[in-house]
Amino acid sequence: MAGRPVAPRIGRALLLAFFSALFVLYVAGPVAWLVSSSLQTEAQITAVPPNWLPPELNFGNFDAILNAAERQVTYETRRQGDPATGGFLPSGAANLIPSLWNSLTVGVWVAVLNLLLSITAAYAIAVIDFRGRRVTLYTVLATRVVPDIALIVPLFLVVRNLGLINTLGALVVTYLAITVPFTIFILISYFEGIPRDLYRAARIDGCGHWGALRHVYLPLSLPALVASLTFAFLTSWNEFVFALVLTQNVAAQTLPIVISGFVMDFTTSFSFVNAAGVIAIIPPVLMAVLFQRYIVSGLTAGAVKG
Amino acid sequence: MSTTLDRRPGGSGRRWRLGLGYDERSAAILVFPVVAVLLVVAAYPILYSFWVSLHDIVLTRPLRRPFVGFDNYLRIFDDERFWLAVGRTTFYTVVTVAVTTILAVLVALLLNEAFPGQRILAALLLVPWATPSVVNGLMWKWIYDPTYGLLNALLVQLGLLERYRAWLGDPDLTLLLIANAAIWKQMPLAALLLIVTMKAIPDDLYRAAKVDGANVFQRFVHVTLPALRPGLMLVLVYETMISIRHFDLFLIMTQGGPGDASFTLSWLIYVETFRSLRFGTGAAMSYVLAMATFLLSWAVIRWLGKRL
Repeated sequence: MAGRPVAPRIGRALLLAFFSALFVLYVAGPVAWLVSSSLQTEAQITAVPPNWLPPELNFGNFDAILNAAERQVTYETRRQGDPATGGFLPSGAANLIPSLWNSLTVGVWVAVLNLLLSITAAYAIAVIDFRGRRVTLYTVLATRVVPDIALIVPLFLVVRNLGLINTLGALVVTYLAITVPFTIFILISYFEGIPRDLYRAARIDGCGHWGALRHVYLPLSLPALVASLTFAFLTSWNEFVFALVLTQNVAAQTLPIVISGFVMDFTTSFSFVNAAGVIAIIPPVLMAVLFQRYIVSGLTAGAVKG
Repeated sequence: MSTTLDRRPGGSGRRWRLGLGYDERSAAILVFPVVAVLLVVAAYPILYSFWVSLHDIVLTRPLRRPFVGFDNYLRIFDDERFWLAVGRTTFYTVVTVAVTTILAVLVALLLNEAFPGQRILAALLLVPWATPSVVNGLMWKWIYDPTYGLLNALLVQLGLLERYRAWLGDPDLTLLLIANAAIWKQMPLAALLLIVTMKAIPDDLYRAAKVDGANVFQRFVHVTLPALRPGLMLVLVYETMISIRHFDLFLIMTQGGPGDASFTLSWLIYVETFRSLRFGTGAAMSYVLAMATFLLSWAVIRWLGKRL
C-alpha cells in the first residue's frame, strides 16, 4: 500500500466509507427502528410524524415482560397492565422468558449435535474416494427439498411415536434434520479447498481417516466449523412452523411461538411486540458478536491458500 | 483453485489406500450417524407424505381414503390457483435469489477489504441473520405500517411521497416488499459463505493480474468471480431452496393477500392442506414443488460445480 500514489488511496478510502455507510444504514437501520420503538410508550409510537428517537427512554415494555410472571392476567385484569404498554398485557407475556430459555437450550443442542454429525459425513464425502459418494451427497440434499408444510403431519407422527411431543427433544431432532444436510454441504466445499498434499502427508505418517480428520482437517477448518455452529444455532432459533405444531405447552414452546401469540392478541401494543422482538434478537446477536472474530478475522490467519 | 466440489478426491490419492476396503469401511462408519438420524426424521416423513399424495385424503371425510395413483397430480395441473401460485412463486424466488446474491457479493467484496471499522461491520452483518423470521416479519410490517410506519414517514419527510400509503395493501408491491424483508434477513449468510470462499483466493492471482495490467473490474471478472464458484454454488442452492418454499413471512405479513397478490405455492399448499383439509392434493403439490426445487439445485450444482 505504502508505495501507491496518494490520489487513488484517498479515492479508495472515500469509496470504502461510502459503501460502509450504505451497509450500516441498510443492515442496522430497521433494527435501530425496532429498538427505538420498543423504548417508547404506546402514545409515542403512534404519533404522526413518528418519533425517530424515543423522547425519553422508557423501559416499561421490558419491565412488563420481565416481571410478567408476577401478574395474574385474566380477561378482567389485563387492562391493568403497565401504562407504558397502553395498559394492555398479552396473556402469553409470562411465557416469554421461559421460552427464551427453551430456545437457547434447543439452539445449543442443535448446534453441537449438528456439527458432530456433519463433520464425519462431510469428511467422508469430500475426502474418501468411495463408491456412492455422489449419490450420498445428492440424497442428503434431497431430504431438504420437500416443503416443510408437507412434513408437518408425518413429523408429528414420528415425534409422537418417539414419545417426544411437547418436549425440547422433539425440536432438537427435527432441527437436526433441517440443519445437517446443508451443514454437510458447507463443510464439503471447505474441506475440498484444503490442499490434498496435507492429507497425503498425514496418511504417509501413518494416520488413518480418523487421524487425518483430527489432525489435518479439523484444525484447518475453524472458520467453517464456527460458521456451521452459527448456522445451526440461528436456524434453530428462527424456526417457527415445526415448533408451532410439535409443542403445545409452555414447557417446550420457543420464542417465535410466544411472540407470534402476542400478534394474534389484537389488543397488544406495538411497542410491547417490538420490545419482545428486541429481546428475541439480543441473545443470538451477543453470540454472533462473540463468534464473529473467529468467522471473519480468523479466516485471514487460518486460511488455506489453495 | 482447489475449492471445487467436483474434484474427484481419488486421483493420485488412490495410491495411498492402506488396503482394499479400508476407505469404503471408513466411509460407511463416518456416514452412518447422519444416515441413521436422517432415516428417522427425514426419510420417513418424506415417504409418508409421498404416500399421502397418492391417496384421496380429505379430513372432512376421514374414513374413505382411496388410492388414486397420480390423479392428485393431474388434478392440480388443472387447478387455476396452482398456475397462479407458480407465477407468484417464480417472481418471488427470482427477485429474492438474484438480489440476495448480488448484495451478498457486494458485501463480501466490501468486508474482504482491510480497513478501519471492518470488524464492526462484520459484526453488524450478523444482526439481520440473528433476527427470527417471526420478528423479522413483524418488524417490516411495522415499518410498512400505513399510519405509523417508518417508510411512509421517511418518504413524506424527504418529499418523495405526497401522502401515506398502505404499502402491503398494494397488490403490485406486496411480493416485492416481502422479498425485501426476506433479502434483508438472508443476505448475511450468503455474504458469509462468499467471504469464506474469497479468503481462499491466493493473492498471487491478483498480483499477476495487476502485472498484466488488468483494472479493478477485469480483476473481478477474471480472478474473483471464477474463484467464487464454490461459494456462489452454496449460496444459489441454499437461497433457491429457502426462497422457493418460503412460508413464514407470507403467514406473518400478508396471508396470501391482498386478494391473491402473495398467493405463492407454499401458501397454496398451506391453504389446501390445513384450511381445505385436502391432504392428498396438498401433498401432491408439495411433491411438484419438491421436484422443482431439486431440479433447480441439481442444475446449479452441475453448472457451478463443473463435473459433479
